[in-house]
Amino acid sequence: MYYLTNTLMIQIQHLSFGYNKKKLLYKDLTLTLQSGSIYGLLGKNGAGKSTLLKNLVGLLFPKGGSIEVNGFDPRKRQPSFLETIYLIPEEVYVPALTIDGYQRLFSPFYPGFDSAKFTSYLEQLDVKDEGKLNTLSFGQQKKFIIAFALACNTKVLLLDEPTNGLDIPSKMRFRKLISGIFTEDRMIFISTHQIRDLDNLIDRVIIVDEGELLLHASVGMIAEKLCFKTVNEIRDPADILYKEESLRGISVVIENKHGEESKVNLEHLFNAVTENPEKAKAIFQTRKNS
Amino acid sequence: MNNTFNARRFGFLFRKTLLERPVQIFGLTGLILTIILMIYFICKVFFGFGPAQNISFIWGLAGGGCFLGSFMFSYFNSNASGSSYLTLPASVFEKWLSAILIAGILYPLLFLLFFRAMDAGFVALYHRGLDATSPLYKIRYDQVYLFSYTGQIAQKVYLIFFMFTGAALTGSLYFNKNNFIKTALVFCVVCVLAFGLNWLMAVMVFGEVRDAAPFHYVEVTVGTGEGEINLPQSAFDIYGIFGDYFFPVLLWSIPFIRLREKEF
Repeated sequence: MYYLTNTLMIQIQHLSFGYNKKKLLYKDLTLTLQSGSIYGLLGKNGAGKSTLLKNLVGLLFPKGGSIEVNGFDPRKRQPSFLETIYLIPEEVYVPALTIDGYQRLFSPFYPGFDSAKFTSYLEQLDVKDEGKLNTLSFGQQKKFIIAFALACNTKVLLLDEPTNGLDIPSKMRFRKLISGIFTEDRMIFISTHQIRDLDNLIDRVIIVDEGELLLHASVGMIAEKLCFKTVNEIRDPADILYKEESLRGISVVIENKHGEESKVNLEHLFNAVTENPEKAKAIFQTRKNS
Repeated sequence: MNNTFNARRFGFLFRKTLLERPVQIFGLTGLILTIILMIYFICKVFFGFGPAQNISFIWGLAGGGCFLGSFMFSYFNSNASGSSYLTLPASVFEKWLSAILIAGILYPLLFLLFFRAMDAGFVALYHRGLDATSPLYKIRYDQVYLFSYTGQIAQKVYLIFFMFTGAALTGSLYFNKNNFIKTALVFCVVCVLAFGLNWLMAVMVFGEVRDAAPFHYVEVTVGTGEGEINLPQSAFDIYGIFGDYFFPVLLWSIPFIRLREKEF
């Protein structure tokens, strides 16, 4: 399949998926994702975030509908497709090899692999060459795989709970690294329930709950449509999508009817959308075909 | 890009398969060969050369091949390694071929070479230990000879190897954890069911049955006499084709289909 531009696209059409035929995780999900964005996929535990990533990479097959990643059908798991996409699962696998050994055996499968960048990413993430990889701590193993995945230079990078197991400095380094490697021809898709870890990193937000797409919008659009602020008292409770009492007052998420400027709080956004799905969909006009 | 087979990519995959888990592949092979050497030696001491050759050949080729085969797709015992294996940019055919090459070609070749060397060594030691001046020298010398790779026993073991290893490869793609044990259990259940049903049918048809083997023979007691009823030659030939070719080919092909369709 040929494209006029280098734009990468993931098209999910009427996706249905479930581990149990009677209880589907996704029902008729339609979504279009394009390169040049860092997507944050947010959802509660068991909402199907990892399942969606596995469908995108071809580890799971849709029960209905279709997925197309830049013209490829992921379920065929063709090498020409797999070398353009890398999934970092929540739990990573490292064999009993040294860093060099791993690089020697695994990197030839990725034509875009950059050895110099790999070394640099390892340094940035503070991963030291200390013998066999399987003897490293979970956090170190995870950082190693993140560095390797980034050095593979795949067009699509899927990260499932990437910050799980990372300490606070490592989370900061991770955010810095992801921002640094991002280019317009790449797509980064991060699934997490640790929403604060994605602050200032993602530029588009996808929220799924109970098999349904509740929100798919850019951070800019969210700031335009919603207002995140702290007030002393609530005058019109009907406008409130979410409220949380804090020491400074009451943090609220309301519809931005007067064009106020505010900083998007992802955690509050998530709570607002999952607690008021219909209202959120109405504000963002989230349709089935998003 | 060829999405089915690419020699260079296959080379990378084959190297990765061998070197990624050296303990499992090389360690296991070394362990199997060492155990076979011990079995040969112990059996030779207690039962003589014939049983030692037969037992060690059966266990080494069929048992060892089956055990090694169960490790070929053992990536699925953890989410992380299973995902890593399935998303590695190599085709399903290359992944299947890599496992087949190790379990179905390299291991048997290595085993046959090892067995020949081991057997020749023990036989030569025996021959050298004989008293050349003894009048029984010639008889004793001829009593012990090298195990024939083209003999009837060897041919039966080759078939058992193909059946067992094929079953182990197939089982390792259906059972993610403890695949060797689970496959062995399924194999036992299938055998018990086949023999049990066959016995039941033989009893229903012939009455008093002494022994029966599926698709082979039935031994019956009639009055004070005993007799064996064999499958007609034409039917036996058809069964032979199924048993010797169809089932082994099926068991070695299923992993390819299963690998293509596997969700994880």
